[in-house]
Amino acid sequence: MGYYLRKLAFYLTALWAAVTLNFVIPRMLPGNPVDILMAKLQQRGGSVDPAARTAYETLLGRGGRESFAEEYLAYLGNLLRGDLGVSVSAFPAKVSDVIGDALPWTVVLVGLATLISFLLGVGLGAVVGWKRGTWLDSLVPATTVLSAVPYFWLALILVALLSSQLGWFPLNGGYDVVLDPGWSPEFIGSAIYHGTLPALTIVISSIGGWLLGMRNMMVSAMSEDYVLTARAKGLTDSRIMVRYAARNAVLPSVAGFAISLGFVVSGSIVTEQVFSYPGIGSKLLQAVQNNDYALMQGIFLVITIAVLGANLVVDLLYGLIDARTRDRSTVS
Amino acid sequence: MTWSPKLATGLGLAAAIVLFGLIGPMLTGDPATIRDIGLTPPGAEHVLGTTLTGQDVLAQLAGATRGSLWVGVLVGVMATVLSGIFGIVGAYAGGVVDEVFSLFSNVMLVIPGLPLVIVVAGFVPADRRGTWTIALVLAITGWAAAARVLRAQTLSLRTRDYVAAARVSGEKTWRVICVEILPNLLPILASQFVFAVVLAILSEAGLSFLGLGAANASTLGTMLYYAQNGFALQREAWWWFVPPGLVIALLGGALALINFSIDEIINPRLRDRARRKRDVVAVEAEVVPVDPDAVLTVRNLNVVYQAETPVHAVKDVSLTLRRGEILGLAGESGCGKTTLAYAINRLHRPPAEVTSGSVTFEDFDVLALEPDELREFRWVRLSMVFQGAMNSLNPVTPIRAQLHDVLRTHRPGMSTPDREVRCAEVLRLVGVDPARLGAYPHELSGGMRQRVMIAMALLLDPQVMIMDEPTTALDVLVQREILNEIKRLRDELRFAVVFITHDLPLLLELSDRIAVMRDGEVVEYATAEDMYLRPRHPYTRQLLASFPSLTGEAGALIT
Repeated sequence: MGYYLRKLAFYLTALWAAVTLNFVIPRMLPGNPVDILMAKLQQRGGSVDPAARTAYETLLGRGGRESFAEEYLAYLGNLLRGDLGVSVSAFPAKVSDVIGDALPWTVVLVGLATLISFLLGVGLGAVVGWKRGTWLDSLVPATTVLSAVPYFWLALILVALLSSQLGWFPLNGGYDVVLDPGWSPEFIGSAIYHGTLPALTIVISSIGGWLLGMRNMMVSAMSEDYVLTARAKGLTDSRIMVRYAARNAVLPSVAGFAISLGFVVSGSIVTEQVFSYPGIGSKLLQAVQNNDYALMQGIFLVITIAVLGANLVVDLLYGLIDARTRDRSTVS
Repeated sequence: MTWSPKLATGLGLAAAIVLFGLIGPMLTGDPATIRDIGLTPPGAEHVLGTTLTGQDVLAQLAGATRGSLWVGVLVGVMATVLSGIFGIVGAYAGGVVDEVFSLFSNVMLVIPGLPLVIVVAGFVPADRRGTWTIALVLAITGWAAAARVLRAQTLSLRTRDYVAAARVSGEKTWRVICVEILPNLLPILASQFVFAVVLAILSEAGLSFLGLGAANASTLGTMLYYAQNGFALQREAWWWFVPPGLVIALLGGALALINFSIDEIINPRLRDRARRKRDVVAVEAEVVPVDPDAVLTVRNLNVVYQAETPVHAVKDVSLTLRRGEILGLAGESGCGKTTLAYAINRLHRPPAEVTSGSVTFEDFDVLALEPDELREFRWVRLSMVFQGAMNSLNPVTPIRAQLHDVLRTHRPGMSTPDREVRCAEVLRLVGVDPARLGAYPHELSGGMRQRVMIAMALLLDPQVMIMDEPTTALDVLVQREILNEIKRLRDELRFAVVFITHDLPLLLELSDRIAVMRDGEVVEYATAEDMYLRPRHPYTRQLLASFPSLTGEAGALIT
């Protein structure tokens, strides 16, 4: 089996596991989500017809009228059709629509912030490792302490300092509410302006991990024979650093993307909440606070798929930047 | 072990915070006591001020620190046990168990943890969310990364001889794991435990801040939750909001410092090292009377490793390499021959330093070259072939890129097609099909890689080539082929060679002249013939005698 096929198979397995987890969790835990949902629905003036109840039972269990396997199949069928149920907190909107509105905000914010953080962290880590023994070494403990700071705490401090005190950034939100969402320059400008502080929070708290990992690998790579060969070849320092040392040192950072992305996504959920950012993280918390189980599950699923997808892309890229993995026969 | 400042700071900070969490609550009074002095700034009465309802922030902080530490330790222990089971046991058992365990760990790793925890916490009714529930959920979502690291380590450990020996002698599996494997994993386990504790404290803080933490628990996260809901920052009551986050950050920072130190114990290469400002200390300005036939002249060269007890690795070595000559450098491992070779090209690394002597190439002093001049000297005039071509080639780029690199740097005017032609030419010279230019190092055999290295060394027609044990890692047949290749190329292209090896008989056959090194000194320097027929130094005789088949039968050696 080729490298790409193996990776694809792995992510399909992970996807199946996530989907199944999503199915099993509400059935395993105490409480009766379906009843709570129906009560909520009634409060909001929703129809309490048996069809709605059946739909929630397929999603959350405790139906009792079908076997476990039948419920599971019905659940998978709904998922395949993209039917994630109806949101209670945003009734009568469908869960898929609520997610569809929120997702682009998060993807752009978290995606860009992660990319910036990765590039900055890896770049700085390479330089710090290369210039070992200079004052740059002190960057390592400094950024590590920053990454031990809780995201939300840092976010709130930044808001208090930069927004409330200095007025440089807006307090919260994803855009200026007087503008109509669209592709107009004003709106995009406003979105960037509002997104800067949340992105800054994510970058500050996640850069330390990339930096440390890259720096350590850089130090190891620099004592490898191929770097010695490169020096003997009389190449310029910058070329040795980039093409020989950093090119090899970056591999574990890329391979470890999965672990880091998990942290970033987790942190950004709380960050979104702090900034009342119109993304999927604040929607998830809104769902939790309103016992909107359908939305909760839908969002978990979407976050998982997004993380899996990002990792799949990174793994495929990894095959491109390290030829050895393509030829290896074992799954690492 | 010497205590690095990092370890001392880390341990000191962590100990202070843990003590604060353990003893603090007994000294600071009841954190829940409500007074009518809400939001008093820090003062003599209340060192860290009061909350909205007049509770003492310091007392709250002490209790919350204790709560957070408790959650952290609970999760740390559970996650470490889980990662041990899935990482160590799986890797040790091997086969299907390993496949399944490893797949499971990897799946758990890519499923994002906190969203899962939030969903689970969302389903469990608030009154049934206890500290243990939260800890369990955090442990279940947090063990996978550690398991992966442990698996990799265990896989490498289980093939070690002492583990194999224990298995063969019929020891029980659990005994082998506990006695032979676990002790070797301790530094990693410790580091993973520390990491799990930090992560748990952070995650718990996030959960509690969102109002999804354990009911009735008092942690740094719940404290922040109340501070936020009491609009602490908007009311500028920073003394209520800042301390809990700071404790988390300091604890995380302290544990990270401890982790650094553990990393440095596992991997000594990461240890702090002062940057070397110079590689050459004293360059003697003496004008060496240059032998018109000499291409490389080394005079009284001394190289010292400036460790706590300096090691004098090369002592007063003087050698002359004439045009087209093969100079053999023989000696056992650690005699300083590689250090000498590197010093000639100033490739020696800290803490090695050239303390005195001179290296003259034709008519200029190599030790006096400025960095840019040195760069232009390397490979153009003097190229090197290193021991173990296995690692001398960059594993992630095709060999084409590594050959082109040389030309691109030293022949900036050369066009890409011309470079390609030159690369193909040198490959043909060493008997490698130019079609292999696109190959990665791992796709070539050991002998092939060494040929590629020699081809690379030939690219710029250097006057001198230093070869450091170029054939040691190869089998005898390939070794023979490559040696013949080197002789042929030398005859064809007339470059001079410094050939380094511990194999004196091989040098007798290959070299024009030979220097025998011992403890950093050249003990004998003579033509190959003289050395074979009339070895003067006892050490040389000893080296020759250690190859009995050769001393028995003379004549067929020198070609």
